[in-house]
Amino acid sequence: MCDKRGDTQEWDWGSPQCRAQLDEVFFRQHDYIQARGAEHAEFWTFFERFQRFKAKKEMAGSREGKARKKGATGAADLGLPKEYDPRYRINVSVRTRDVEDRLEGSRRRTPTGPGSQEIAECRLALLHFLDFTQKQSFGKLVKLRREQRNLPIFQYRDRILDLVRNYPAVVVAGDTGCGKSTQVPQYLMSSGFSHIACTQPRRIACISLAKRVSMESLNQYGSKVGYQIRFETSRTPATKLLFLTEGLLLRQLQQDGQLSRYSVVVVDEVHERHLHCDFLLGVLRSLLSQRTDMRLVLMSATINIALFSSYFGGAPVLQVPGRLFPIQVIYQPIPPEEQASRSEKLDPRPYLRVLQGIDQRYPAEERGDLLLFLSGMAEISTILEACQTYASHTGRWIILPLHSTLSIAQQDKVFDIAPPGVRKCIISTNIAETSVTIDGVRFVADSGKVKEMSFDPKAKMQRLQEFWISRASSEQRKGRAGRTGPGVCYRLYAESDYEAFAPYPVPEIHRVALDSLVLQMKSMGLGDPRSFPFIDPPPASSIQTAITYLKQQGALDTRGELTPIGRLLSQLPVDVVIGKLLVLGSLFNLVEPVLTIAAALSVQSPFLRTAQHNPDCSTARQPLNSDLGDPFTLLNTFNAWVQVKGERGGGSRKWCRRRGLEEQRLYEMANLRRQFKELLKSHGLLEEGGQDRVSAEGRAQRRERLSERQRLHQLHREHQLQEGRRRKVLRLDEGAEGPSSGSDTDTPPSASKDQEGAANSMDIQEVKFKLRHNVSELREAACASADMSSRQTALLRLLLCRGLYPQLALPDEHNATRKDSEQVFHTRNKQGIVIHPTSVFASDPEVLHVPEHESSALGAGKEESSKHQLLAFVTLLETNRPYVSNCVRLPVLQALLLVADSVDSNADCTRLVLDGWVELGMADAEAALKPLSSALTLRAEWERLLQAQLGHAGPASTSGLGFTGPKPARRELDKLREGLVRFLLYTEVNYSLKRLTGLQAQNLYVGPQVGHSELTLPPLFPGMQSEPDPVKGGLRITNYFTYNCLCDSKDLYSECLRTFWSCPHCDLHMPFTPLERMQHEATCRPAEEQQPEEDPDTVKTAASSSLTRLYHCDVCNKSLNLTSTEILRHKRQHLA
Amino acid sequence: MDTSEGTVIGVFTCEQCDLSSPYTFYGQKPPNTRAIVLLEECYGMRDPFNPEREKFLVLGSKCCLCKKTVCVGTECSIFYTKRFCLPCVREHLEQFPEQIQMELAKKKTAKKM
Ligand SMILES: [Zn+2]
Ligand SMILES: [Zn+2]
Repeated sequence: MCDKRGDTQEWDWGSPQCRAQLDEVFFRQHDYIQARGAEHAEFWTFFERFQRFKAKKEMAGSREGKARKKGATGAADLGLPKEYDPRYRINVSVRTRDVEDRLEGSRRRTPTGPGSQEIAECRLALLHFLDFTQKQSFGKLVKLRREQRNLPIFQYRDRILDLVRNYPAVVVAGDTGCGKSTQVPQYLMSSGFSHIACTQPRRIACISLAKRVSMESLNQYGSKVGYQIRFETSRTPATKLLFLTEGLLLRQLQQDGQLSRYSVVVVDEVHERHLHCDFLLGVLRSLLSQRTDMRLVLMSATINIALFSSYFGGAPVLQVPGRLFPIQVIYQPIPPEEQASRSEKLDPRPYLRVLQGIDQRYPAEERGDLLLFLSGMAEISTILEACQTYASHTGRWIILPLHSTLSIAQQDKVFDIAPPGVRKCIISTNIAETSVTIDGVRFVADSGKVKEMSFDPKAKMQRLQEFWISRASSEQRKGRAGRTGPGVCYRLYAESDYEAFAPYPVPEIHRVALDSLVLQMKSMGLGDPRSFPFIDPPPASSIQTAITYLKQQGALDTRGELTPIGRLLSQLPVDVVIGKLLVLGSLFNLVEPVLTIAAALSVQSPFLRTAQHNPDCSTARQPLNSDLGDPFTLLNTFNAWVQVKGERGGGSRKWCRRRGLEEQRLYEMANLRRQFKELLKSHGLLEEGGQDRVSAEGRAQRRERLSERQRLHQLHREHQLQEGRRRKVLRLDEGAEGPSSGSDTDTPPSASKDQEGAANSMDIQEVKFKLRHNVSELREAACASADMSSRQTALLRLLLCRGLYPQLALPDEHNATRKDSEQVFHTRNKQGIVIHPTSVFASDPEVLHVPEHESSALGAGKEESSKHQLLAFVTLLETNRPYVSNCVRLPVLQALLLVADSVDSNADCTRLVLDGWVELGMADAEAALKPLSSALTLRAEWERLLQAQLGHAGPASTSGLGFTGPKPARRELDKLREGLVRFLLYTEVNYSLKRLTGLQAQNLYVGPQVGHSELTLPPLFPGMQSEPDPVKGGLRITNYFTYNCLCDSKDLYSECLRTFWSCPHCDLHMPFTPLERMQHEATCRPAEEQQPEEDPDTVKTAASSSLTRLYHCDVCNKSLNLTSTEILRHKRQHLA
Repeated sequence: MDTSEGTVIGVFTCEQCDLSSPYTFYGQKPPNTRAIVLLEECYGMRDPFNPEREKFLVLGSKCCLCKKTVCVGTECSIFYTKRFCLPCVREHLEQFPEQIQMELAKKKTAKKM
């Protein structure tokens, strides 16, 4: 386009130079639209269109011009211009006089720039452009307001606000589509409430609701509306409305019982009856009586509303009708021949028929997506695979999975739009039943099944079982088809099945282990959990089970009060066992690897299941595998990843892909790890490190680091701005790759495209990672734990074992003769367990077998060896079989002697029974005594130092105990560590191993013996009474060790048990009974250790109190203050 | 980021269609817009649909005849060198150019259908 009029010779609108000259007039820095901004490009595109439009109009207008003039009226009392010009319709003007004047001046010298004609043309176009953008945005606002008004809940806005102002608690009940989740928080916000918390059962809902509500409240790019989930928050001081998970609000309650930062709490989806939700309601109910200014809004589907209302003293209920279009229900029960048996994969045919039926009955132009409900992830991947084949065949479907373990980016895909003529098929767990709302669903296919975790307190085992859903769930699923128009629901069960469904789902509190709940209740000072006024109290037995377990784990004391360790555990957002592991790790110099392992065991496995069958992945993974156990493989993986991140930054994505790793999980691990570290620090369990490093850092380096951080912040902000701009249109091959698909992960064509698309999301993950973590510090930690010596790994295994106890399993004695796939294990309560196929011990079971040449056969089945091993495991989960996963292996004798709750022996300690189910037999009495004696000493010392460490720990934990002891001295810790390692690695005793059957376990003990009741021995350890065990018989030496209580036991003081022994420390040489010898060993220290130089006072008092005690000798009738050894000597005096 | 949101002065409500939204400026000069001037006193806010800061959105203004507050939507008002609410336009229809008369006539028939 070239304008030849005026004084410009060659003005070319298309030339970048010409445009740049006009940019100087209209789009300078600080101008409303700036050159090189996004809108600037849009303007020039608009300009071209506008010029074309004008040219057309001018051609047509020249003919009409006269007629128009004639029609104009004369009377002009409004003072309107007589001649119409579209320009008069624009209420904006752009003033650039200053620039134009300057331009005019320079034009006199060099007449090449734009003339007044060009400037006027450009200005006109700009005005029209501004008008156009205004109309565009205003149109969006109108549409948004129209949609809000059309929601059923809109009619009730004032009524709801009225109720909230006048009542402490209000129930808003409405069916799917009434708009309560998005609108009620907005109503509250716009009527002046400003500290609003809105809880959601799921993280994904927090994010999507925050996005939606911030857009609707015209604050899409601000932070008035935010979300907070475990590691991510968009909350700022400006945030007025926060979406957060129920669990997170409970954590906040733990810190601030008054919840003073909120004035309104909205609890959404209360009808789902999640454990946290039920508990939250209980806590909030009592909080309402203390905080009369607080308001509580419960939001529920129209299920069981009376229950909630009456729980809150007859809270007013506002019921909002849902807006559902008619939904046609079609029952298509699965024929018997297509019903999967327990062990088989799901038959995809009934589901494919649904897709085919839709293709046949509905023309492709009629839009509408399909939402398919399945019970679990395995089912999803089976059906996904089959549907994908169908989809690639027909080209009419895009198949997407949806479940909670997908990364957020993957979950987000379900909100994207399918191209014309193509439908989305979203295969989901019940996550899409209520919380995740996907627009455009017209068809629902419902399997009628749900997988739910239940807890077997007897076997201390989680059970993931498939159940029929309830009628309430069934209706919810159906409702998803009628949100945007009339829909169809295919039920893959019979109507009679439906009639037989339970009316409501079983609340979670009745199904799951309550350990964490009870721990949290204790830490919140809520008194006896058994009397807490739950909306629907759990069975007393399951609370009792939890209390017993917590006592076993040392989190509660005998009176049921929190111990220091329990207080700490209650603040960690993880399982009790993982928390224990962290505390144990803090005692020794093993914090870094323990942090990583604890984090790794708390997130989902980063190893993609599908990659397992990919030989390239397995080969690439090989160097990461550890035959010590899965936690070590995870540790190696994380460390290697951190190295890659340090060296190659964003290249880590590719590195993960090659190894079949889900990088998102590694990011989560890094986040969790950091959270753990901060928790340990804040409790004084971890020295503040790295300070000398920071100060040593030069000024230039610091500046560099700061500018790097600024750059990262900038990137992060830009990403946030881009986010949510518009929904993407999906590609046809979308979902054809990805973790739960059955296809290869590295198919080149789609992979390369995906990488391109993923480049952005990778960048932002990388940016977030670098913002959150000090990468070089992480690398140092990774280096340190990558170079662990065998002594360190031995100790780490022991810590894992103690942390995971009592989750231990023994290999079946016949495993060596079985196929790899048929290896069987047993725990104390559950027989016939298999190892999860992802575990290193599933692919390499030989490392658990007792080497043949090492064992010496002692007749029938009694194989003596020093190489027996057991597994400590993280999870025992029963699906179609009981599986253990995340296992670590340890030597049986050493591990059990150090961690077992009960150690029982016969008279010469050649037979030991541990925890009442593992029997060890040793032929050599002399050799047998040594490990037992060492274990007793090590355990006592370990316990003492751990208590000292915890007693020293931060204010939060000391308040429970009321003392601050001295921090354990490094010297003592080093010595203990050395002792434990030596015990674990260099104990060479051959022993036989046997699991006791129930019957054998019943007839194990001699039982109480009246004759011996007056006999008391000096306690083995100070403060611990050794007395006859009232149940087992024999002598209770420590709280876990009972001597001589096993049935084959001999007389307690039988002289024949005495053998000559010389103490390596004090050179005492004389005949000892096993017990006497152990007592001597427990108290006799090498001479050089008795007088540690540092801190002589504390040690000396400890030494005198622990070494001597008051002893009354009946023979000489004197009371003497003697050490145990002196007492023994004294006694022998009389015997001689 | 929230500093650019501006503080809410009040709630703008169109007297014709009831559309309402908080507004953060009133006048002829949207904040931080340099050369841009509005030709009427407007109620406006930061454009909530534009990720860039400092983009404004005009919500509405007062009818120059009846002084009613109306939104800029074409169902409620037109701008023709000044702001007129539609009832006022209809009342003085003969004074508006033919283009606008035709536009309104079209709107009427469209509504009737
Ligand atoms: Zn209006
Ligand atoms: Zn008017």
